[in-house]
Amino acid sequence: MASSFKQIEDKLKTEAKKLLKTGQVSVVLAYGKGYDDNHPMPYIAKLPSDADNIVFNEYCTHNLARYLVRYPKGTKIAVAVKAADSRAVIQLIQEEKVKREDLILLGLPAYGMKNSKTGEIIDSQTTCGLYNPVLYDTLLGEEVHGQPVVSPYDVLAQYEAMDKDARFEFWKKEFDKCIRCYACRKACPMCYCDPCFIDQNNPRWGEKSPQSHGNLMYHLTRFHHLAGRCIDCGECSRACPVDIPLYLFHKKVAKECEEMFGQASGMRIDDKPVLVNFRVDDSDKILE
Amino acid sequence: MSFEPKILGIACNWCTYTGADLAGTTRLQYPQNLRVVRVMCSSRINPSFIFRAFQLGADGVLVGGCHPGDCHYNTGNLYARRRLAVTKKILEFSGIEPERFRVEWISASEGNRYAEVVTEFTEQVKQLGPQTKFKISR
Ligand code: SF4
Ligand code: SF4
Repeated sequence: MASSFKQIEDKLKTEAKKLLKTGQVSVVLAYGKGYDDNHPMPYIAKLPSDADNIVFNEYCTHNLARYLVRYPKGTKIAVAVKAADSRAVIQLIQEEKVKREDLILLGLPAYGMKNSKTGEIIDSQTTCGLYNPVLYDTLLGEEVHGQPVVSPYDVLAQYEAMDKDARFEFWKKEFDKCIRCYACRKACPMCYCDPCFIDQNNPRWGEKSPQSHGNLMYHLTRFHHLAGRCIDCGECSRACPVDIPLYLFHKKVAKECEEMFGQASGMRIDDKPVLVNFRVDDSDKILE
Repeated sequence: MSFEPKILGIACNWCTYTGADLAGTTRLQYPQNLRVVRVMCSSRINPSFIFRAFQLGADGVLVGGCHPGDCHYNTGNLYARRRLAVTKKILEFSGIEPERFRVEWISASEGNRYAEVVTEFTEQVKQLGPQTKFKISR
């Protein structure tokens, strides 16, 4: 039987307090109160007393791995990770952005996370469909079992079956909605470039105002930059104020990468990200 | 008037570009629709070049590199192979015809093959007609 959110929250508080008191870490990345219960926010605990402010409920969807790269290298950090979040941490370790020994991962096995905009349960439709962290030091609760195993790529079938012109129209309509607020980029744990390619002036890769061609450039390139790195947490799409289903494209690219290169992102620390790696016997068929 | 496509060619300095030179010096005939840009290695090609080329009105993009194993920098084209494979999948899922983008390995001694590939690819793009999906209308 999986633990309730309340039980996990209590364990998280105790653990955070202990880690901060003993000085094992200087910050704990967790969740705190937002303007109401349905909108908790990322919370950074620095003092043992801060630990009392930590909350965890079904709306704590944010991927806290996002904040790891903000700290100078060598900072000891404890971070609360759900399933996809732990994959993000693994991916960041692979990319040498953080070191395993600097991190303490507090695993949160949680089924029943909800999208705070729609109230719907988040499952393999919009995320990778895992509920237990892949990597953790302490698991704060019982492992989740008994959820049906569904491929996170099943949802793609209907879009893959579309005629290409219809698919172009579909994406054009979606991308045209984009207001270029960059919430997707800000929410994403793997989007840490500074500056982002789209903010560069020389070369100027694409228009910066929200016009359809600039939007197309921004999104296609972003999908490309996240190829083999996106860990399918779905945060980009949940952060988007105009509800563009970015996760669909990310899933498609992830699926292709997995098929072509035989490796899913963020599953093992010793893997190398697929696009900074190669095999001499990669087939030329992948280019067809 | 029949449709004459504009095709961007991106060729690596050591193999495909030299192959193109060879095709020229041996006076081979091939369509003039290809505008070739030389890069030092196929892995120099930023995938955004390709998206941008389509936006700026290219009807097709042809990338040429050394055969795997022959790269002047040993491994450049092996990285490029993976990267451009992803580019192709992204183009396909975005709804543009993936046939408009092609990667070919052409060595410095394959002037004939260069001419053949260019001829064939130009014909293929011609069949597809003008590329309007990505093109920025001004
Ligand atoms: S692209 Fe979206 S789903 Fe992928 S890692 Fe970033 S926020 Fe998560
Ligand atoms: S969050 Fe949505 S609206 Fe904002 S830049 Fe990303 S896709 Fe566009």
